[in-house]
Amino acid sequence: MDSRKDKGPLPPCWAEWLIGRITAPHIREEVLGDLYELFQSRVRSHGSTKAGLFYVLEMLLLLHPRLWRSPAHSTQLSNQFTFDSPSNPTAMFSNYFKVALRKLSRHKSYTVINVVSLSLGIACAILIFTLVKYHLSFDHFHANEDRIYRIYTELHKEKVTYSTGVPNPMGEAFRSGYSVAEKVGRIAFVNKRVVSLSPEKKFEEDLAFADPEFLDIFDFPLIEGSSQTALQEPNTALITDRIAKKYFGNQDPIGQLLHIDESLVVRITGVLRNLPATTDFRSEIYLPFASLKDHSPWMVEKDWWLGYNKEMQCFVRLKPGVSADMVDSKILRDIADKHYDKEMAKQFHFKLQPLSDVHFNPKLRGYTEKKNLWTFALIGLFLVATACVNFINLATAQALGRAREIGVRKVLGSQRAALFWQFITETGIITALALLIALGLTYLALPFINNWFSIALIVNPLTDTYLLAFLLGILLIVIFCSGAYPGLILARFQPVLALKGKLSQRSVGGFSLRKGLVVGQFAISQLLIIGTLIVTNQLRYSQQADMGFQKDAMIILSVPNNQKAKTNSLAAQLSEMAGVENVTFFDSPPATETIGSTPIQFDSRPEAEKFNISLKSADHNYIPTFKISVLAGRNLNPSDTVREYVLNEAAVKALGLASTQEVIGKTATINNRKGTIVGVIKDFHFKSFRTTIEPLCLTTWGEVYNSCAVNVNTANLEPILAGFRKAWTATYPSSVFTYRFMDEDIERLYKLDNMLLRLIQAFAGIAIFVGCLGLYGLVSFMAAQKTKEIGVRKVLDATTTNILFSFGKEFLRLLLIAFVLAAPLAWWVMENWLNNFAYRIELGAGIFLLAILITFIVALITVGFRSVKASLANPIKSLRME
Amino acid sequence: MKGTQLGEFEEVVLLTIALLYDDAYGVAVVEELSQRLQRPMSLGVVHRTMQRLEEKGLVRSRFGEATAERGGRRKRMFSVTADGEQSLREARRIRDELWGGIPETAFGN
Repeated sequence: MDSRKDKGPLPPCWAEWLIGRITAPHIREEVLGDLYELFQSRVRSHGSTKAGLFYVLEMLLLLHPRLWRSPAHSTQLSNQFTFDSPSNPTAMFSNYFKVALRKLSRHKSYTVINVVSLSLGIACAILIFTLVKYHLSFDHFHANEDRIYRIYTELHKEKVTYSTGVPNPMGEAFRSGYSVAEKVGRIAFVNKRVVSLSPEKKFEEDLAFADPEFLDIFDFPLIEGSSQTALQEPNTALITDRIAKKYFGNQDPIGQLLHIDESLVVRITGVLRNLPATTDFRSEIYLPFASLKDHSPWMVEKDWWLGYNKEMQCFVRLKPGVSADMVDSKILRDIADKHYDKEMAKQFHFKLQPLSDVHFNPKLRGYTEKKNLWTFALIGLFLVATACVNFINLATAQALGRAREIGVRKVLGSQRAALFWQFITETGIITALALLIALGLTYLALPFINNWFSIALIVNPLTDTYLLAFLLGILLIVIFCSGAYPGLILARFQPVLALKGKLSQRSVGGFSLRKGLVVGQFAISQLLIIGTLIVTNQLRYSQQADMGFQKDAMIILSVPNNQKAKTNSLAAQLSEMAGVENVTFFDSPPATETIGSTPIQFDSRPEAEKFNISLKSADHNYIPTFKISVLAGRNLNPSDTVREYVLNEAAVKALGLASTQEVIGKTATINNRKGTIVGVIKDFHFKSFRTTIEPLCLTTWGEVYNSCAVNVNTANLEPILAGFRKAWTATYPSSVFTYRFMDEDIERLYKLDNMLLRLIQAFAGIAIFVGCLGLYGLVSFMAAQKTKEIGVRKVLDATTTNILFSFGKEFLRLLLIAFVLAAPLAWWVMENWLNNFAYRIELGAGIFLLAILITFIVALITVGFRSVKASLANPIKSLRME
Repeated sequence: MKGTQLGEFEEVVLLTIALLYDDAYGVAVVEELSQRLQRPMSLGVVHRTMQRLEEKGLVRSRFGEATAERGGRRKRMFSVTADGEQSLREARRIRDELWGGIPETAFGN
C-alpha cells in the first residue's frame, strides 16, 4: 500500500471496486492492472482529472459479456490452463428457469392448485399485516410520542373503576405546581354539537376545547394561520381542511364566523391539515379551552375535585428523563392528598397512561386490545402455513412422478445442489406468481375490509417500505419453507433406483410427513370452524336474548333543549301522531356502555354504602314504554325534580335486604339528592352482556334529559319519520334532526365482536377452501398412483363402494387425529374469550360435533369427487397401460 | 477450418502481438495500435479481441511480472502460437495473391 501511495494519484476507487466486482476472476488481475497502467500514463500526459474520466470511459467500454463470462474451454487451452471457477450462475439460472416453466406448464392442475392456495393465503397475510400495522401505527407520528401521557383516574371503591377523564382543576394544578412536564394541555371533547353557518346551513360535529399547549404536544400542523396565537384568544376556532372545504368550498375560511349550538359565536383563525387516518383524536373543530365555560359551564365548575368526566382529559409531555412511575407515585399522589380529605384521597388515584397505550386499553376506552391483533396475526400465519403445506404435500407426492427425470439428470452429472436449486426455482416462480395475484386480490378486497371496519387501509408496496419488506420476506420464507423439503427429497434420489422405476412411495420418505401435514391442516380448519361457531352463537345469544326490556320498534331522538315547555310540546305533538304508542324522555336508553354511577346512602344508615349505584334519569313513561316489569311497589309519579326512586333487584340485594318489600317507602340519598323509594323493578341488562347486572336506580330529573324514545308501529315507518322530523324541527328550529333505532344501538355494543366474527368467518372459509384444494391435489395424485391397483381390484370384483372406502378411511383417520388436537386448543381459546362475557353460552359437545361434521362433509366431498372418478374408470384401460 | 478464420481487426492485433514479441500485453498492444492506426483504441476492444484469439488457439498467454506501475498486479503476456503464425501467413498469402491479381490499369485514373 505504501508504494502505491508514493505513486501519487490513484484511479477512482469506486470504479476500481466496481469493475473488480463485475470482472470474472480469471481475468480480473490483468484487467485491473491494465486499467491502472493506462491511468498512470494518462496522468502524466493529461493530468489526473482527465485520467480519471478516461478511466471511467475505458471501464464502460470494457462492459461486454466477455468481461464476466467464465473462460470458454477450447480444446487447446484446457491442456494449458485449468480454471477453478466452478460454474456460471447466470447461465445455470436461466436453464433452471426454462426447465421450471416447462414443468409448470405441463402440470397445469398442480400449478393452479398451488398458485390459488398460495395466493389466497398470501392475500390474507397481506391484509392482516396491513390491518395490524394500521392499528400499531395509531398516534405514532407525534414527535416525542414516548414522552406523551394522558392522566387518568382510578376510583377505588368496592371495585376499581377507570376513567379517561380527570377533575377539571387537575390540569392547572399539575401545570402550576410541578415542573416535571414540558407541556400540559387540557382538552374537553364535546361530541355531536350543532355548528351553524346560517339558520339554514347546520351541521352536527364533534368539538374539542383545548389549551394552546395541546397543539404543542401533538403534531396537528396548521396549514393556515399562526401557531403562535392558535387557541389563545377566546371565541376563535381552528378547523381542518376537510371541514373548511365542506363549509366554505373554495372560499377563504379565515375570518368566517361559526355558531356553536346557541351559546357561542367563534371566528376561524386557522386551518389544520386534514387528520391522518391513524389518530384517535377525531375532533375536527378546535376551540380555546377558555371558551368552554361559556359553552358547557357544568364541565368547568370551579375547584370541583369530586367529579370527573371521561371527556375532560389532560395530556402532558414530560421532560426528558422524567420517569412516569415517579410522577404516578409522587406527584399525582401528592395532588390527590392535597385536594381530598383523608377518606377521599384513598379512593382517588391518578396515573399516567402512555400515548402508545391509548389505542389499546379497553378499560380506558381504547379501540381494541393488542391481543386481538396478535390473534389475527396468528390466523394469517396459519393461512400461509396451510398454503405451504399444500405445496409440500403436492410437491413430495409428485416427486415420485419425476423420479426418471431426476435419475437422468443425475446420471448426466447433475449435482445435489443443482437439483435442489432447480426445484427452488420452480417454487420461486409459483410463489412470485401467487404473490402478484395476492396483491391483486388484496386490492379487490380492500374496499370491503375498509367498509366492515370503517377504517382507511391503503396497500401500496411502492410507497410503504414496511409492506415491501414484508412482501419480500414472505416471498423468501414461503419459497424456502415450501421448496426446501421437496427439493431435498428430489435431490436425494438414488439414480439407479430412480431410473429402474423402483422408487416407491416409501422411499420418497415423505408419506408420514405428508400425513402429519394434512393433520395440521385439518386441525387449523377445525380450530377456525369451532371458533366461528362459538363466536356466532355467543353474539346471537347476546343480541337476541331477552334483555329485560323491549328494544324493538323504538326510535330514539335527541333532545337538544330540555326546558319543560319544549319537551312538553314535543311530547304532545309526537303522541298525537298515528302509529305512535308511547313517548318517554330520559338521559340514557336502557342499554348503554356509558352510564355514570354515584354513592348511595340508604334509609337511616349513618354511612354511605360501600358500592356505587348507577343512575338513570327518566320520566314516568320510561318503565311502561320499555315494558320493564315492576316487581314491588309502583312506577314513578310524574315529576321534574328528584323525589322518588325505583331500584332494581341487584340494588336491593346489594343493600343486604332479603325482600323487595323492605325498601318500599324508605328514603335514600343518591347523588346528594334525597328521595323516597317507591318501587323495585326486575333486573334488566342496562349494559352489554359482558358485565353483570349492577345496582341501578331510576328517578325523575328533568334537567338532564337529552333523548326521547318513541315506541312506534313499524308497519308504516316513512310517514311516521317524516312527521317526527316536522314536529321536532318545529320545536328545535336551530338543531339538526337525527334519529336512531334502538336495536341498532344495541347492536353497536357488539360492533367489534361482529367485525371479529365476519373476519373469522372469512378466514375460516379461506382456510377450509385452501385445505380442500390441497386434499384434492393429494387425492388426485393417489388416484393416479393407484390406477393399477384399482383396476386389479375391479377385475377381482370389488364394487365402487369398496374402492371409495379404501380411499376414504385413510383421510377419515387423519381427520379424527386432527380433531383430537384441535378440540382442546379451541376449547381453551374460546373459553378465554367467553370469559369476557358475564352472560355467556356454555360450550357443549354439540358445537364440537358440528365442527367435525362440517370438516368431514367438506373433506368427503373433496375426496369423494375425485375418487368416484377413479373408481368408475374402466379397469381395462388402466391395466392395459404398460 | 472455422477456428483459424481471422477477422480484420484480429489480424491487426495478432500482428501487433507478433511485433511486440516479448512485451505483448494489454496496454502495450493498445498503445502500439493507437499509434500505428492513428486513432484511439479502447482497452475493451483490444482485450476482447485477444481473448477471442486465445480461444481460437492463435495466441497463448502466461502471467508476467507484477510491477509497481500496475498497482502491483501481474501482466498477462501474449505470444503467437504456431497456429497463429500459420493463419497470419495464410492471410498474407491471400492478400498477396489479390494484389498480384490486380491489373495495372485498375487504379489508372
